[in-house]
Amino acid sequence: MNPMELLPEKIAELVHELAVLPFDNMHYEHPVVSAFVLTNYVVWGIIALIVISTLFILVANKEKRALALAETGDVTVLAPSGRLVGMLEAGVEFIRNLAIDVIGAKDGPRFVPLLGTFFFLILTSNMLGLIPGGKSIGGTIGGTVALALISWLVFVWVGFTKNGFFGYMKSLIPSGVREMPLAARIGLGGFIFLLEFVSTFIVRPLTLAVRLFANLYAGHIILGVFSAFVLLFIPITVEKLQASVGGVAVGAVAFVFLLIMYAFEVFVAFIQAYVFTILTAVYIQSSVHASEH
Amino acid sequence: MEAGLIAIGKGLAYGLAAIGPGVGIGIVGGKALEAMARQPEMAGRIQTTMFIAIAFTEALALLGFVLTFLL
Repeated sequence: MNPMELLPEKIAELVHELAVLPFDNMHYEHPVVSAFVLTNYVVWGIIALIVISTLFILVANKEKRALALAETGDVTVLAPSGRLVGMLEAGVEFIRNLAIDVIGAKDGPRFVPLLGTFFFLILTSNMLGLIPGGKSIGGTIGGTVALALISWLVFVWVGFTKNGFFGYMKSLIPSGVREMPLAARIGLGGFIFLLEFVSTFIVRPLTLAVRLFANLYAGHIILGVFSAFVLLFIPITVEKLQASVGGVAVGAVAFVFLLIMYAFEVFVAFIQAYVFTILTAVYIQSSVHASEH
Repeated sequence: MEAGLIAIGKGLAYGLAAIGPGVGIGIVGGKALEAMARQPEMAGRIQTTMFIAIAFTEALALLGFVLTFLL
């Protein structure tokens, strides 16, 4: 029997596996459309939330205890130590530096909690999505739209509170155009305003959501296709298949590629969390300093 | 027949949308590498800016990706 004949069936299984389904019935016939159903992606999102909050609460308690001990005069316990503490502290410091670099020393620290939440939640969720059977909130467009919407609300809110409604709208037009003669100001200014309006309020959140979704979904599909190849070509898993040297070789090559792609997906999990965080920071920065350009 | 044409259209939509951003991200990455080799002490800030530039370039390819699913 030709293993390639089984491929479409496996691909269909894969797409079904990645669909948004109710969590208690993973083999439900149709993908979920309604908003108020606990889906498999929601459950895995909650698991990611629990994992990352538990880690941070544990470390925060440890640091609090160390600080309390330090006040009694025992200097040896001043610095909280341990791998977990070091890792999370490095992560928090990384986010803090990012916020100060991008947004500025004055307004940056205010947004560290938001940016940190985005980064660590997306990172944890992406990592959980790499466990076979696990799901990442980035693997469905609903999850990424929710995250992008939060980011959008924050930067629009910051823009309005910092510059006022009209100030923010006026800042969409470059200052050079505002000093031109009246006719040019109305014609060119109106055109640029339209372009900037669409790019700021529609394209920004859309690309934020789609970027995360597209990268993770494509990654899951690639990993799934390579896994399907391994399962198809190694004859133990399909009884009807005759063992052949060529088949096993193709399976072995697919397995090596699967491992390489898996390593690459771990890298993508980091990069996408970082890109989402830094873009949110850049958008907030453009709102904070809107009146300056 | 029609389903086949739609499938070809999906492939073309994403493939064509990926050409420009592919070249663009290559330029961004290459230039950032040049800059980092020239001034290693600025590597951190260059990297940050590079990721931002890549993200903006990539947006065009992503619109093609979305179109593939919408078709």
